[in-house]
Amino acid sequence: MSISTDQRPAGSAPTLGYLSGIGTIFGLEIRQRIRNRGWYIMLGIWFVVVAAVVGLAALSVGVDEFGPGQVMFELVIAFVLFFGMLIAPALSANSITGDRASGTLAILQNTLLTPGQLMWGKWLASWVASLGFLVVTIPLIGWAMTYGDVYLPGAPVLLGMLALELAMVCALGVGVSALANRTLFAVMVTYLLVALLGLGTLIAYGLSMQLVKTEVQISNQVWPEEYMGDEYYGEWDQDAYTCESRVYPQETFATDRITWLLAANPFVVVADAAPRVPPPPGDDEMNSSAGPMGAISDGVRMSQAGPEYLMPCLNGVKSDMTLPTSTPLWPLGLGIQALFVGGIVAAGRNKLKTPAGKLSSGTRIA
Amino acid sequence: MKTMTTGSEREPEKLPGGATGITALGLARSFGSVSAVKNIDFHAAPGEVTALIGPNGSGKTTLLLMLASLLRPDAGTIRIHGIDPIKDPRAARARLGWMPDTLGVWEALTSREILVTMGALYGLNKATARIRAGELLEIVNLTELADTPARVLSRGQSQRLSLARALINDPEVLLLDEPASGLDPGARVQLRTLLRQLATSGKTVVISSHVLVELDEMADSAVFLTKGRSVRSQRLDEAGTQGRNYTVTSLDLPALRRALEAGNVDAVYVSNFENVGGDAKVKVAGETQAAALLASLVAAGVPVTAFAPSSGLLEETYLSLEDEMP
Repeated sequence: MSISTDQRPAGSAPTLGYLSGIGTIFGLEIRQRIRNRGWYIMLGIWFVVVAAVVGLAALSVGVDEFGPGQVMFELVIAFVLFFGMLIAPALSANSITGDRASGTLAILQNTLLTPGQLMWGKWLASWVASLGFLVVTIPLIGWAMTYGDVYLPGAPVLLGMLALELAMVCALGVGVSALANRTLFAVMVTYLLVALLGLGTLIAYGLSMQLVKTEVQISNQVWPEEYMGDEYYGEWDQDAYTCESRVYPQETFATDRITWLLAANPFVVVADAAPRVPPPPGDDEMNSSAGPMGAISDGVRMSQAGPEYLMPCLNGVKSDMTLPTSTPLWPLGLGIQALFVGGIVAAGRNKLKTPAGKLSSGTRIA
Repeated sequence: MKTMTTGSEREPEKLPGGATGITALGLARSFGSVSAVKNIDFHAAPGEVTALIGPNGSGKTTLLLMLASLLRPDAGTIRIHGIDPIKDPRAARARLGWMPDTLGVWEALTSREILVTMGALYGLNKATARIRAGELLEIVNLTELADTPARVLSRGQSQRLSLARALINDPEVLLLDEPASGLDPGARVQLRTLLRQLATSGKTVVISSHVLVELDEMADSAVFLTKGRSVRSQRLDEAGTQGRNYTVTSLDLPALRRALEAGNVDAVYVSNFENVGGDAKVKVAGETQAAALLASLVAAGVPVTAFAPSSGLLEETYLSLEDEMP
């Protein structure tokens, strides 16, 4: 038996294509994941929980002009995003620290693989794994679709942005994983960073309220005399009011100046990017959305509009009470997230470079 | 593993240029305040097995990590077949096979999948990687376990898989960190034969191990490390000219003593308590002198039952180094 195969021709070093390296790492990772039995159990439990929630929504909503389909669909999106943010860090943050612990990272680093290929492959695998949680909810999305009231232009955008946000969280996890030495630490830090995006933005928004406290001059609304009469049985038109000329000060918050703090929130990014569901005919209420994503989108738009649109009579002038077309917030949010995640991933990639310069104390690279 | 290499094949071919093999000069590397490697000069020639010997914490693994292009030395230069692994790690890695002292096995994958994957990461196409994986599994005797998940492999089997993995890219330079630990005696013999074959086919083999007797049998030269410094390089075929301790066992210690004293040979005597027999430890200048001494003892009618070096050559150097240490 020969130990060496044919002599390699002089001068031709073997090369590893960039994509083929990523593909090999992806295959290596995904094969390990799909052979994990716990993974299927988790997907099963996940399906049952989401199905129960969506089923209850189907029973309890859909009494008025809204069909339950849109609410069910948005619930699935919100659930997958919420749990995706809980699951994706666990799926991604052990990808490199795990290899470090089992001694396989150095073996991979000793091949022709570049740090970039390694991270792309690991990221792709953890993203696909977290998309698995979206894929198992397809029957539920299909169920929602059967009601026929799902706003079709919005559906692919919601799904796409959801997938993009999961990709962001996974990239964050892989980046932190490359930087950290212990899996537990990497998972924890990733959770904290995801919480910074998900909850931290809300807290920052809430606390900043005090900074944008302002005083506006408002006056009372006056509805036509006949509305007040005892014998009036006609329709009360909410918009048919006039404003008194006597104004008085009212404290309010200039939320339009701090709404950008919410931009990087994953829920805001997903909700804000989707086209708005048009209000049902004959209804010109501001809050036309019953689903969670629509509600978030409305809330953000109202916050962007600021106090002028909340006060029916500002400076003695009647407000038209329709929300102005606000600038979309999600590009800013995605930009902030991309910078944040990109910085961590770049630092992680730097840490994976070999020959290694610095090693944190107490670690062996082999 | 059909052929055993014989002693005469151990002679390395002298390769021209001297640009091949591994050359490292003045290596130093510290981790924080701990300097693991202080000053190591190291050379391993192609066609030879070079042993890396030293006590725990002497810098063997750190040196191997630097040679394997994974760790940047603080000072010093390394050349792997003329390539600087710091400037061009990928070119060096294409020629390197590295077997770490940790097992490093993907437990959910089968041995064959691991080898094919690693082949792919060295740029082999799928068909070539598959063939190569099959060959290597046969070489390390894992064919029967090739398609079971690696988590069921025993330590020795993982060790063999790790060796096969290090060979997947047909490396010109093979770096092995404690490859024999956990192997059963049969597998050790196979490892020895395999490494001899690899060296004979012109590859540069570097092996670190604690089992010095074993290294005696397969290494051509040895580099000794103590406290992060290379303290001695030695060729094992110089054994013939090196003075060594021999133990002579006789059934009649007084007769042995008379014969040795008549020949003016200094010796330390250890007698058996139950009979007149015993051992004598003598210092002999070389193999020729040893043969002559044995001949003279036999000619003098001394009943000699054993005549052998007291310990392995590397062990002797190793122990003498420990004596020299302050």
